[in-house]
Parts: sequence; structure tokens; C-alpha cells
Amino acid sequence: MSFSQDKSVASVLKLVKAPIYSHCYSADRSVLAISCDKNCLVYRLHPQPQLIATLADHDKLVTAVDISIHGRIVTCSQDRNAYVWEPMSNGSYKPTLVLLRINRAATSVSWAPSGYKFAVGSSARIIAVCYYEQENNWWVSKHIKKPIKSTVTCLSWHENGVLLASGSTDGYMRVFSGFIKGLDSKEVVAGSPWGDKFPFGSVIREFYQGSYVHDLQWRSNQERVAFVAHDGTLNIADSQGNIISVNSPDGLPFQALLWVNDAQIICGGYSCHPVMFAADFQSVRFLKDLDKPNKGGNTPQSTPADGQEEEENAFSGISALRKFKELDLKGKVTADEQESAHENTIVQFRPYAESAGNVSQVSSCGLDGKIVIYAV
Amino acid sequence: MEDWRRIDIDAFDPESGRLTAQDLIPPYVQQTDPQAVQQQISQLKSFATSGDINSALQLATSDPPYGADDSTKALYFRAVLETLTQVRQADIANVVKQLQPQQQDVLIKYLYRGMSIPEGQRQGGILLAWFEKLTQVAGVQPVMHYLTDRRTV
Amino acid sequence: MSQSLRPYLTAVRYSLEAALTLSNFSSQEVERHNRPEVEVPNTSAELLLQPIHISRNENEQVLIESSVNSVRVSIKVKQADEIEQILVHKFTRFLEQRAESFYILRRSPMPGFSISFLITNKHTETMKTGKLVDFIIEFMEEVDKEISEMKLFLNARARFVAEAYLDQFVY
Repeated sequence: MSFSQDKSVASVLKLVKAPIYSHCYSADRSVLAISCDKNCLVYRLHPQPQLIATLADHDKLVTAVDISIHGRIVTCSQDRNAYVWEPMSNGSYKPTLVLLRINRAATSVSWAPSGYKFAVGSSARIIAVCYYEQENNWWVSKHIKKPIKSTVTCLSWHENGVLLASGSTDGYMRVFSGFIKGLDSKEVVAGSPWGDKFPFGSVIREFYQGSYVHDLQWRSNQERVAFVAHDGTLNIADSQGNIISVNSPDGLPFQALLWVNDAQIICGGYSCHPVMFAADFQSVRFLKDLDKPNKGGNTPQSTPADGQEEEENAFSGISALRKFKELDLKGKVTADEQESAHENTIVQFRPYAESAGNVSQVSSCGLDGKIVIYAV
Repeated sequence: MEDWRRIDIDAFDPESGRLTAQDLIPPYVQQTDPQAVQQQISQLKSFATSGDINSALQLATSDPPYGADDSTKALYFRAVLETLTQVRQADIANVVKQLQPQQQDVLIKYLYRGMSIPEGQRQGGILLAWFEKLTQVAGVQPVMHYLTDRRTV
Repeated sequence: MSQSLRPYLTAVRYSLEAALTLSNFSSQEVERHNRPEVEVPNTSAELLLQPIHISRNENEQVLIESSVNSVRVSIKVKQADEIEQILVHKFTRFLEQRAESFYILRRSPMPGFSISFLITNKHTETMKTGKLVDFIIEFMEEVDKEISEMKLFLNARARFVAEAYLDQFVY
């Protein structure tokens, strides 16, 4: 395990050898669930991270995991299924299959803030909104189909539990209504700037981005949605249909984002280290890099003419010759790299410590099988 | 007899929701008038012959004929390629520095397009010099934009 | 040689860096399958990204075709004459027959190219992207060097054989 010198890295957990596509904490941050290959692993974090359960009913890759405020874990997988895992008093989890009625992989899952329903995105170009039916004792789903044209990659619920934002590989970020009769009340959306009527499944707003939308999150009190796309941009959309956007400082796209507070967003992705952005209502701009390796790193350094003189002082004689040869042949400046805490793509952020909507510690998971906690 | 086993039945399902390359072209790309493109070409050529590479590049990269048909695009591109290859190696860096990020995105499209056709491949060296200068200024960002942008030159 | 080789390799490096931004993506067409979208006859156009051509001249080119979960990199190695053509063919064929130990090597090259690599999200998850790029760049330099060395060796040997053979006619 390599610890970075950077102060922003609070701790690094190396839990598994496989990529972690998704992770989630319980409301009190005592339990951590991660997706690992075909299983979902549940850890108790204190005093030492300890594996307490392996949720192993899926037979293909688990793509997403989420924990509700009541402690229920929902997992979804490329085997087209989703399970809700009820925590039992003896520490085990009881699975209930959710009837998603989709015929392709489930890609993302998100509990509504109330914890009584959740949404599952899928490669079948469908979002399934699922809720518990008391009389039949199972989780049933209602579908949102139109006008999704491609795989749904990410979902986010508004705090009111009605507006559901989704991003997909067809290049659209869409806001749907996930209003379930009997579960949601019309009062919560009264006076919403997004509209007057919210029948289930209707498209409230649609934003064209053009490239794959990788992740998105609501900032409910500002009535805005931030989303990151494959062309390397961070965008913020509001209820008026306006979009403000900014490019990733090193050009590589982000896979994950999280609102840290009303004015700051943290993003992470293929550059393997988090980036902070400052966002107000007029613009969004780059603030700072966290845990960025000093040299080399993942962005290729081309050979600027003035860079060569600096190199010259550090090396002399044969090694300088070798250095230049290297430069000339491979078109790169340096071979030595200082690692960032994540060694591979960051795919998800979760708040680790927050108070009143301000996140002070952010947890991230990556394809390198690590969970890293950053202080922001 | 037709090989019915190989018929892609999903293609006949209007509900299948598949996207074709045509669907991906953003809705706001307008049909470009071939006449207007012709005008741009002649303007471009006059800039190039007078040696005003800066203005030529500014023109070429600010309003590319995204909506034009293939033959018009090819015609336009030939003019751009001529301009690009006329520039002396030493001037490239200066010209590139003048470009806005959106214009850099367009320039890289010309470069990749150039390297994909035989006329451009013969001039590979100079196109690569452009490319190198561009990435020195803008890094990997224009490449990323090129990959994901469905509008072609 | 390196004067124009460097911009070429730099261009390949940047383009690969951008193209190797892959994610795990389950098939939209076939149930419970996860396949490299760049390799299958694709009915969903949105999954393929713009192809990238990089050429130093007509004989040396790289084609990078990328999709949501896989990238295909095809390289055309310099072949100046017939001997080089044969050498390149033999050399790449040798590698391709052992493709499984090279992980990212494609068993057959794309038409018009000497050798192809297929990089999927599985590779970028288990290997460092930067190192993958380094490998391909290094391969591109090495293969040129290798071919010209082999050609030199072949010529030297031919000369030697000719001398040895013609020796008997000298008296």
C-alpha cells in the first residue's frame, strides 16, 4: 500500500483485489458495503474493518449497491436482478428478490431519501422504480421507458423523493418524475420550480450533452443537478434549462462527482485523483487538485522546449545522453512517478462525514480495489 | 431463399429504441448552404495565398461546415489542408496559441481527418507537427472532445 | 530518424491516453453478455466513438477505434521493400500465434494493418493505463528497430553465403 504525502488523504482501505464499482455506508457510518465481482461484501468499520457478511445471491457482476436510511441494502447486478437485503437481529441479511421485469443488465441503483422506494437503471433502456407492496409481500416495479435510447448509467433522487435525475449513454441527462401514488404526497413538490404536475414516468426536463453521462447528483436546496460526461466536462443544469459547464483540468473525463457544499463539487475519474470545483449560479470553475502526484502521473507530458534545459542540470554525462535519448524516442519527460492514493480510476464518491449538508470527508472507491477517504 | 435465420428481427421493432449514426448527430446542426461554403473556401484561399495564416485558421476553425454533405465537406477540407500544410514549422506554435478551446477542438478534427486520407498522409509530418504543438497547449482535452463529438468535418 | 518519430509517438500517446477511458458495460443487445463493443457488429451507434487515424506517412499509420468498453489499436509497420514485408509478416504472425500470453494482442490484424491490439475494460482494470500506453509506444519503436536489424542481418548473411559460395570459383 502506498501512502501519499498529500494531507488530503485521511485514510486508505485496501479491501479486495478486484475493482470496486460501488460502495456505500450506513447512515451512522458503522457499516460499509462494497460490490466485489459477483458478491456484495459488508464490513463493520469499528474498531477494525471486519467482514461481517457476504451477500452472494447474484451470479453476475454486481454493479451497484446502496443502503437506505433504515439500513436495508439494495444490490443490482448484470444478471438482471436486484435484491433487497434486510438486516436481521443476528447480524445476517435476508434477501428478497425484486421483480424488476428487465431483460438486460441492471447498472445503477439508488434509494429514495425516504427509504421506501428505489430506482434501478438498466441496459434495457428502462428505469425501474421499485416499492414494497405489503399485501403481496414483495417489491414491485414500475417502468420509465420513454424516451430513453440507451443504457442508463446513473441515477439520483431529489430530496423530495419525486424528481429522479438520470444519465445515459445516449448523451442525455433527463429529469423524470418518480411519483408513486400512496407513497409520495403532492405537498412535497408543491411550488417546485421544475413544474406543476408530476405524473409518474413523465419527462420533466431533458438536457442534451452529447457524450456518455457517467454520474450525476442533485443539489436539492439549489434545485440544480450536476453531472459529469465522457468528454471531460462537469455540467450543472437548473430548472430553467440552462447548463453551465467546465472542462476537467487535465482533459480526462470524470466518473464520479459529489456536492461537498453549496459552492463546491468534488469530481474524480480517469486521472485517479479528486478535483475540486467551485460552483455558483453563474459559472463553475476549477478550484484545486487533491492528492495529485507531483510528477509524471497519468497525463502524458509532452516535451516542451524549455523543459529540456531544466533537465540538463540534474543529469550529466552519459545519463544525460540516455535521458535525451529517452525523451526523443518515447516523447516523454520522466519515468519516475509518484503515486496518488488511488492507482486506478475513481468510480464513485460517497459522503463520509457531513453536517447540515456540508461534507467534510469524502469516501471514494476505485477500480484498484481501494476505499480512500479524503478530507476536503 | 432468403436466409431468415439471419434476419435481425429487433430492427423491425419500432420500440427497440436503437440509435443509428444518423440519430446521434445533434439536433442543432443545421443544413449548411453549399453556396456559403464555397464562399468560405475562396476566402480561405485568399487568406492562404496572402500568407495570413492566422486569419485563415481563425476562419476555418470558427465555423466548420458540420451540416454540409460529404462532397462539400471534402471540398472544404481540401482547402483547409492546403492552408495547414503551407505553414512553416516555426510559425505553428504561434498560430495555435491564438486559438480558443472550441477552435482547438475543430483543429484537431481537421488533423485527424487529414491523417485518415491519402492526401493528408503524404503530409503526415506537418500534420503531426500541428498536433504536437496543439497538445503542448491544450493537453489531452481536444482529443477527448474529438472522440465524443459526433459532428464531423 | 527520431526527428519525425517523436511527434508521431506523441500523437499516438495522447490519443491512446484519451481512448483508454473505458468502463464496464454490459451488452444492450444480448442478455447477460458483456462483450467488447468495438468487435461486434454494432446496432447501437452511440457505443462507438470517433475513430482516430494517426499517420506519419502512407506506410506508417495507427488506427485507434474506441468504444464504451474496448479499444482496438491497429498499427501499420513501415515496410519499405519486399524483404521488410516478409519480415513484418513473419514477425507479427509469430506474435499473434502466441496472443494469449500477450493479453492485449488481437489474433488477427485489421485489414490493411500489420498488427492489432484489443484493449478491453478488463485490461484497464487490472493494469495501469499509463503502462499499457507505454507498452504500445515501446512496441512501435522496437518493432521498427527489430525489422531493420533483421534485415541487416539477413543482408549480411546473404553476403556471407554468396562469398562462401563464390569462393570456389576463385583461383
